[in-house]
Amino acid sequence: MSRLNAWIQERIPVHGDQLRELTNEPVPNHLKRWWFALGGTPAYLFVVQVVTGILLAFYYQSSPSAAWESVRYITEDARYGWYIRSLHKWAATLMIASVILHQMRVYFTAAYRRPRELNWVIGMCLLMCTLLTGFTGYSLVFEQLSYWGATVAANISDAVPVIGSFGKQMLLAGDTYNERTLPRFYILHAAVLPTTIILLMAVHITFIRLHGVTELHFEDESPDEPDHFNFFPDHLLTELTIGLVLMILLSALATVLPATMGPRANPLVTPEVIKPEWFFYVSFRWLKLFSLSVAVISTGFIIAAMFVWPWIDRLLIRLTRNEDASVYVGIVATFLLIGLTVWEAVVTH
Amino acid sequence: MSVKTKQLIVGLLGLMFLLSLIFVQAMEVTRRRQELGVGPRHVSIPASSKGCVECHVKSSPGIIDHWKGSTHAVRGVGCVECHQASREDVDAFDHYGATIATIVTPLDCGRCHKTETQEFLASHHAKAGNILASLDNFLAETVEGSRIPFNPHSETPGMDVDAVNGMASVNVGCRQCHGSKVALQATDGGLITVDDLQPDLAGQPTNPEALARVKRDENGRPVLDAGSWPNTGIGRLNLDGSLGSCSACHSRHDFSPRRARQPENCGKCHLGPDHPQKEIYEESKHGVAYRDLKHHMNLDAKDWVLGKDYTQAPTCATCHMSGHTRNGGRVTHDPGERISWTNRPPVSRLMDTDATGAVITETDPVERQKLTVSSWRDKRQEMKNVCMHCHTQNYINAFYRQYDDFVINYNEKFAKPGQQIMNALREQNLLTKPNFDEEIEWTWFYLWHHEGRRARHGASMMAPDYAHWHGMYEVAERFYQELIPQARELAHQAQERQQTRQAQAVLDLIDDILSRPEHEWFEAAKKLADHAPESLTAEAAAAVPEQDPPSADTDSREEPTENGGSSESEEADGDSSE
Amino acid sequence: MQEPSGDIRGERTDAVESRPDGSESRRGFLEHAAGVTMAGGLTAGYGMLVSHAVRFLYPSETDPGSWQFVCTLDDLQPGDSMPFTTPAGAKLVVARQAEDPAQDDAFIALSSVCPHLGCKVHWEANNERFFCPCHNGAFDAQGNPIAGPPKAAGQSLTRFPLRIEGNLLMVWVPGTGISEVISETNA
Repeated sequence: MSRLNAWIQERIPVHGDQLRELTNEPVPNHLKRWWFALGGTPAYLFVVQVVTGILLAFYYQSSPSAAWESVRYITEDARYGWYIRSLHKWAATLMIASVILHQMRVYFTAAYRRPRELNWVIGMCLLMCTLLTGFTGYSLVFEQLSYWGATVAANISDAVPVIGSFGKQMLLAGDTYNERTLPRFYILHAAVLPTTIILLMAVHITFIRLHGVTELHFEDESPDEPDHFNFFPDHLLTELTIGLVLMILLSALATVLPATMGPRANPLVTPEVIKPEWFFYVSFRWLKLFSLSVAVISTGFIIAAMFVWPWIDRLLIRLTRNEDASVYVGIVATFLLIGLTVWEAVVTH
Repeated sequence: MSVKTKQLIVGLLGLMFLLSLIFVQAMEVTRRRQELGVGPRHVSIPASSKGCVECHVKSSPGIIDHWKGSTHAVRGVGCVECHQASREDVDAFDHYGATIATIVTPLDCGRCHKTETQEFLASHHAKAGNILASLDNFLAETVEGSRIPFNPHSETPGMDVDAVNGMASVNVGCRQCHGSKVALQATDGGLITVDDLQPDLAGQPTNPEALARVKRDENGRPVLDAGSWPNTGIGRLNLDGSLGSCSACHSRHDFSPRRARQPENCGKCHLGPDHPQKEIYEESKHGVAYRDLKHHMNLDAKDWVLGKDYTQAPTCATCHMSGHTRNGGRVTHDPGERISWTNRPPVSRLMDTDATGAVITETDPVERQKLTVSSWRDKRQEMKNVCMHCHTQNYINAFYRQYDDFVINYNEKFAKPGQQIMNALREQNLLTKPNFDEEIEWTWFYLWHHEGRRARHGASMMAPDYAHWHGMYEVAERFYQELIPQARELAHQAQERQQTRQAQAVLDLIDDILSRPEHEWFEAAKKLADHAPESLTAEAAAAVPEQDPPSADTDSREEPTENGGSSESEEADGDSSE
Repeated sequence: MQEPSGDIRGERTDAVESRPDGSESRRGFLEHAAGVTMAGGLTAGYGMLVSHAVRFLYPSETDPGSWQFVCTLDDLQPGDSMPFTTPAGAKLVVARQAEDPAQDDAFIALSSVCPHLGCKVHWEANNERFFCPCHNGAFDAQGNPIAGPPKAAGQSLTRFPLRIEGNLLMVWVPGTGISEVISETNA
């Protein structure tokens, strides 16, 4: 045994203590509350997406003539294809949901404040990438709704001043959806965006390690208790538990509400009822409320504001002399978000 | 929470995850099982038909889709295998490099489906096209339309009509079931049919003169006469000399056995006032069970053997054609093989058939025996073998007893007397030569051709309402209330014309018939009045209806005897209904 | 299972203190049980997932091929041969060698592609051989090489299985090849 250890030690000259030092970030106590462990959930789901996505890529074909058929093959013919596809679909849904929840937690606990402003910006980038990945992924199915969703989205981007037309051309590889469009979506979805997400996540986590997790204290904690516990193995076990719960949840969703096939994309007929994926309900409703340019420009401003919120927050505090000004803004924004989403969900047009 | 507890929780969650995946596996297995056999069969397009498919998938995608759903497609039988023709064939033409013909005949199908074609050609079905000069054909051609085109009598706004095709009713009505005589247009404006072509056994014309007259369109394609094609009548007279059309039952281009197994398929022709077999079937318990259990009847099975693949209910095909466990699953394409009575003619006849498959009319028992190749008893046994899958021997025998009694009662009480009266009227020259120009000719036609057949078919396939109300009730009404009064009226008119002897012959026959015990009740008071003192009449008349019915116990009867010798002009009728 | 022995609870703040002390005596049965349960659960759950994934990647159903109609027995008289193209485009020569269909090798189906360099062979009735014009390769009626490069290399013509159903001659053709997929897409 010791000879084996020595052999390994010689070839991989990392000492156990060093490894422990590296991984054993002391974890603040508040992370024992699930609400604060949401940051790891999207990371875990991202791994699920990478694994199931790679599996799906074995069968997916990104040419418009074969795309829908290949998805149908996965869903109906390939063994466990429906399960893998449903996992991918549900993990995407949960990932976007958990990213939003994670962001809300960070926002309401004001964890983005000095010195963590940059990490908030990186988080915003991750959010954008996640949404884009969801959008491009849905387009790959090449069914009626996803086809027309992509068409509409491209034309929305066209309305963006100055860069809009450029963006649309880059997205569609032409003025309209054409045979070179789908491969673009595929490469964005399966290569460009995931790689970006991995890089951003690395930076995101590095920042967390550098700054340490924002420490929070609660009134029910006794002051004698130590305010940290070990990442390894304690917090790792928590994450493992969360991971398994997620897997079981995904399995349940995949079996109860499996991903189905819509009618194949038909560029000549727009379906009567057209809706994007649920996470775009907000912007879809927003679009219907205002004229296209107003809606697009206002959306742009809102996103920009979200990116620079740590600084806006400081400005707000200075102006209102209220530490919690952002919280009130957040509450209003949350209600707006939920309201618009529900509105879009319950009406057909 | 201790690490150990957490470890336990992780372990348990792992096991739960395992359970959920096992559930996923169970779902996958069920899904596979459900899909087994119902998934689309793989179809490779045979190299010989690649060109056809490439073009026709655009020009007529339905044809290609239908074909892709056929067993032909799965087995590599494409377009040219059936449509191929040799250059010598009269209707052959060059179509993008292939020599083909539009109409596929039993001769073409028979290249692969030999037994089926032979059975079919031996069947009454194949002879259904020979209805020329029959009563039905006279009706449609002359009574309903006109054999010669005639001039329109006023304008049809929006369309220039310069001549009325009086054969329209025959083409659209009779011939879509019975089959047309396929005709090509000739350069001299006439038509070229099998009669002109005199084809040899291989179907190739032997008359070069007719061949030379064939009119061709700008693509060199022979022009088929619209009166004869489209047509999938079961007794079509094809240009190659073959009879019939396989697609009459096996609809092109999917040739679905599943469809041929269902009564709706037979219902294209076997329905209506004169032979409502499909409606009769629907009324019967057999049809009721079929409607209920259709989806359990394994209609997609490869062989569809009664007793093996299904037993829920019989369809038309089950009893008349399909294989069953007692005949080794042998399917026949001659639906007459299991039929013991022919109820087609005015008087039902037993189905002793000769070497040509024709029903023997010979009455001398010895001669009859000699001619018989397949007896009605053989045929009945064939049918009983089907019945036995669900019924006992005693039950079946008793059913046939009911059926035979019914047919014989109809024959003896109404059909033969009616026929005798009609023959007497003709023999005495009290009727003109053409049919259907006198009321009594319509009356008699209704009696046997519509009502009499409904009654007999109703009895043969267990539909009480058709046997009685749509059947015998109407037969009786027609006989007593129309046929007898009309015959007497004709006789009285003859008396007025001083044709006393002729009139008396008819009246005597009517009196003779009505004096038979089974007709005694009718005009009972009048009969008594003729033979008894005035005072007794009323009393006796009241007594008559209470008379006991004569015993029907005739167990010693072996075989109904034919009251032969009557010449039946209706015999020429080629109506295919049994 | 990796160590951590002892109660590592939230109270333990010092990571160094929580290190295993290696004392065997402190490792109770329960501790092992918890670890084993965890290892078992994780392996079982994720293992099953991996097995599903492998099953997903393993080809679901390969088209096994099918018996395809060639001709009726009457269409091919003894001594005659006919070309046949499979749906996937492979060229075959089907020949009848005997009157009695039940006889062994009464019918044979040979690939008409020369195994040497892929040229197309044809039947020479007078020489009773299949001849490849490219390099003078020759094969007998059974497809065995009798001359030229195939003889030197011992390469026979590929034989396709045949069977007779009633009066129909059927040939076994392998499943959909990529060539058919491509030609279907083009159509």
